[in-house]
Amino acid sequence: MIEVQGLRVVLPGATTAVDGVDLTVRQGEFVVILGRSGAGKTTFLRAINRLVEPTEGTVRVAGRAVTGAAPAELREMRRRIGMVFQQFNLVRRASVLENVLAGRLGYVPALPSLVGRFPQADRALAMECLAQVGLARMAERRADTLSGGEQQRVAIARALAQSPAVILADEPTASLDPQLTGSIMDILRRINVERGLTLVVSQHQLETALAYATRIVGFRRGRVAFDGPPSALSPAVVHAIYGDGAPA
Amino acid sequence: MRRAVVFVGIVALAWAAWDTGADPVRLARGVPWVLDFIRRMIPPDLRVLPSALAGAVTTVEIALLGTAVAAVAALPLGFVSARNVAPAPLFYPARAVLNFFRSVDTLVYALVFVAAVGLGPFPGVLAVVAYTTTSLAKLYGEAIEGIDPGPVDAITATGATRVQVLRFGVLPQVLPLFLSYILYRLETNIRAATVLGFVGAGGIGFYLQTYLRMIDYAAASTVLLVTVAMVMIVDGVSSRLRDRLV
Repeated sequence: MIEVQGLRVVLPGATTAVDGVDLTVRQGEFVVILGRSGAGKTTFLRAINRLVEPTEGTVRVAGRAVTGAAPAELREMRRRIGMVFQQFNLVRRASVLENVLAGRLGYVPALPSLVGRFPQADRALAMECLAQVGLARMAERRADTLSGGEQQRVAIARALAQSPAVILADEPTASLDPQLTGSIMDILRRINVERGLTLVVSQHQLETALAYATRIVGFRRGRVAFDGPPSALSPAVVHAIYGDGAPA
Repeated sequence: MRRAVVFVGIVALAWAAWDTGADPVRLARGVPWVLDFIRRMIPPDLRVLPSALAGAVTTVEIALLGTAVAAVAALPLGFVSARNVAPAPLFYPARAVLNFFRSVDTLVYALVFVAAVGLGPFPGVLAVVAYTTTSLAKLYGEAIEGIDPGPVDAITATGATRVQVLRFGVLPQVLPLFLSYILYRLETNIRAATVLGFVGAGGIGFYLQTYLRMIDYAAASTVLLVTVAMVMIVDGVSSRLRDRLV
């Protein structure tokens, strides 16, 4: 589903955030990317949908090359790649439903969308996605009146509204109270199991990664330091991923 | 270094005082004339109140219409002059053009437009539009540069077009700021529009200048009072609206 080859990303300021990553993610996998902050997890995820421009290497999603795609083609591919962010990144002053409808922007007629008009079918789909994260009754509330956990669920609904093949989630629980981590990860797992969606989720918490991943990829200094099932994650491997620092 | 700056500053101010003929004695000698001027303004001649009010209405119209047109015209300019959303080939020329036109004041534009389209309130409207468009565009651009990039990333990631990203990721974040800037500009434009009449561009300034020229200070004082009332009313309404936005 996702094929990454020889990916290098040099950020402005000449930091090499991702330094030669090869990774193939198969349909239906729940991959957790593990690593300390600064290991290149965020940049890696953002390079997959080219929010960050790769310096070298190729990325293919659902059989099509994301790297090198022309702008229109790239937008078409981005529709199938949902993304969930650490800071939720909702439009705070807009309603919950409007935020979820934003997930349909790549599909709906462009001009009506600019004045806030969305086809009925897309509104229905957005409501369905909201119901899936258990927030249908909050549709009309302003996004910034919701709690952090609820906001992240809205963000997941927005990604679902894209009818994606893949969801990338960048530290989706890192800005939340620890007791909310499970509820967000549970929703992601349900999406993975029920819809067969491919998930790539970055996490810095080892226990969470072990509890949810079908496969763990350990990043260290922009490179893959481990790739295997959670059961293969020995203390020595954890040490290799986290270096001398204790896993946070 | 600091001493040198202070020294240069003092020399510059002293030279400016000498060059402009600034003289406290001259000012003191002028005081009786000022008092005479004020005495002749009292009581205000209320017979000219209707024309003063008509002039005030025109002035408010000039400011309102000019600000409204400029508020819309400044939108595209604001977006192309924001570093974080405009491509570099657009951004740099846009900034340069805006800085150039913004350094020309409304009154100077009025002179140009009076020459172009003739006397009356219309060149006044054009002058307000010309200045306000560029000054609002600058404010818009700076507001856009201060946004949270997160929602922009999120909307981009959905496969939205660049225009959709601006509409859904940027605009909701800056709209309250934009409205507040527009109201602020309306307040300053009311003040600027009061003197547009001096150069033939319509409004209450025309009456003020006419009565002053006719040495009819009692009539001029009525116009002045109406001007003050008009500015205070607009300021009051506008600042109340702005408070609601934030």
